[in-house]
Amino acid sequence: MAEKEGMNQTPSAQRPTLNVEASAEGATSNVKHRTLNIIWRVVGFIVAGIFLYAGAIKALDPVQFASDIDNYKILPWPISVAMAFYLPWLEILCGIALIIRVLYRGALSILSALIVVFTLATVGAKARGLDITCGCFGHASQNWSFPSHLATNLAILAGLLALWFQSSSKS
Amino acid sequence: MRSSLVRQVLILAALALAPGVGGAVYFRHKISWRSAILPSELATVDQARAWGGNVIWVDARPDDEFASDHVPGAISLNEDRWNELLPEFLAAWSPGKKVVVYCSSLSCNASREVARRLRKEAQLPDVFVLEGGWEAWLKKKG
Amino acid sequence: MKTHIIAFALSIIISLSARAELKWEQTSLELHPTPNDKQAIGHFKYQNTGKTPVHFKSVHASCGCTTAQTQKDEVPAGGSGEITATFNIGDRTGTQVKTVTVETDEATNQKTVLTLKTIIPQQLELNPTFVFWKQGDKPDPKTIMVKAGKEFTVKHIKVTSSSPDFQTKVEEKGNGEFQIDVQPQETKNIVASTLTIQPEDSQKVFYATARITNAPTVQ
Repeated sequence: MAEKEGMNQTPSAQRPTLNVEASAEGATSNVKHRTLNIIWRVVGFIVAGIFLYAGAIKALDPVQFASDIDNYKILPWPISVAMAFYLPWLEILCGIALIIRVLYRGALSILSALIVVFTLATVGAKARGLDITCGCFGHASQNWSFPSHLATNLAILAGLLALWFQSSSKS
Repeated sequence: MRSSLVRQVLILAALALAPGVGGAVYFRHKISWRSAILPSELATVDQARAWGGNVIWVDARPDDEFASDHVPGAISLNEDRWNELLPEFLAAWSPGKKVVVYCSSLSCNASREVARRLRKEAQLPDVFVLEGGWEAWLKKKG
Repeated sequence: MKTHIIAFALSIIISLSARAELKWEQTSLELHPTPNDKQAIGHFKYQNTGKTPVHFKSVHASCGCTTAQTQKDEVPAGGSGEITATFNIGDRTGTQVKTVTVETDEATNQKTVLTLKTIIPQQLELNPTFVFWKQGDKPDPKTIMVKAGKEFTVKHIKVTSSSPDFQTKVEEKGNGEFQIDVQPQETKNIVASTLTIQPEDSQKVFYATARITNAPTVQ
């Protein structure tokens, strides 16, 4: 008994109360809302899945990843090794965070920062004429061309930014 | 609002440390933290040439590769026959000489291993790995 | 929350099933040869879990000291086999990591790296393995420290010098540690000696070099 009363009293601002809005605005906008929600969830899963996949590939072979980071000639070797061990797990955790919607915006920020850094490093390396064979997908992407690398990274960034704005409009 | 975002980022960043360290422990035998190669232990073909007669060239490649061609005057020293070849190399060495070890290219490991053993076991100073290896030598031959 | 878990599981399953057709029992092997072994052999077993045959395009090792062979070039669906990697130990020491890169015609994952980690047991560790005197130096004794490897018990060692120009003296420090003092008769002539160090009850022989060298050349 007491529990039920407590529930009625908690502010319902965080949970989208579809039922309340449906009765106020009509049945069609209810469907529209649901579809939009599903679309956002799918986008979220795709983006999260990409980082889970990318992170897993690198977590399984950090030795190769350290070597790939070193090829950019930006960081000293010991830092490259540290990053090679750390970054993949950061990607994996943030991917999981996106899916289970915990620490959501923190995950979005970190992943966005990572993509920006990876992209800048790739562009910088290309400008310096370095022969690098990796983007954020480890050695699996070594046969990709530079434009497709760039395009993929930008698409992922776009997805992250879209999710960010969607989450800020919700709250 | 903003402080909770920072908090989320810090929590995620901190959580990732645990598996990161776990990976570092798991793979500890597969990677060296100290260096891929320290720059001070590398020598380019030009540098080595500038040292002139003060250089001892060491060929760390397998016997058949050495036999087919090598840097003029180079001494063969590889890990297959280390015990047999080392005394011959030491006979050519004297204090003050610079030792330049090479193997086939930038990516082969043999020269680094031979250089490491010369430094560590024989405790020789001035041991360098030729940057680019035999490939780089061939390019500069003309 | 439930839908999240289902979707998450689905995405993992989907991504896993898009994986390679060739499943490796292990892609990393650790070998422990005995001190008298000349080779260390690793068997990398695989199975074709896909529906199409898999062809090996190339199998090559990271160094000339390791050879790798497939039993067959084509693996039918459901078939299995192994890649045998043979590492020639030679005079190598310590932990040696060599890799074998396998290229196939699989749709995903065309390249697999097999790692062979060989722990070469070191019965004795000499430090250093080379002692020298410049011509004209005082013929003071120099020291070579000998230490038995962790897994070994060495009570006595025998040291012989290939040349009478150098004298050796062995001191047992206990705990598998020994001190060899090497001293030349004189440092006038360029002479050298190969010191042979043999642990008691062992076939294995270890070497050190003592010599008189030229005085350093003036730059």
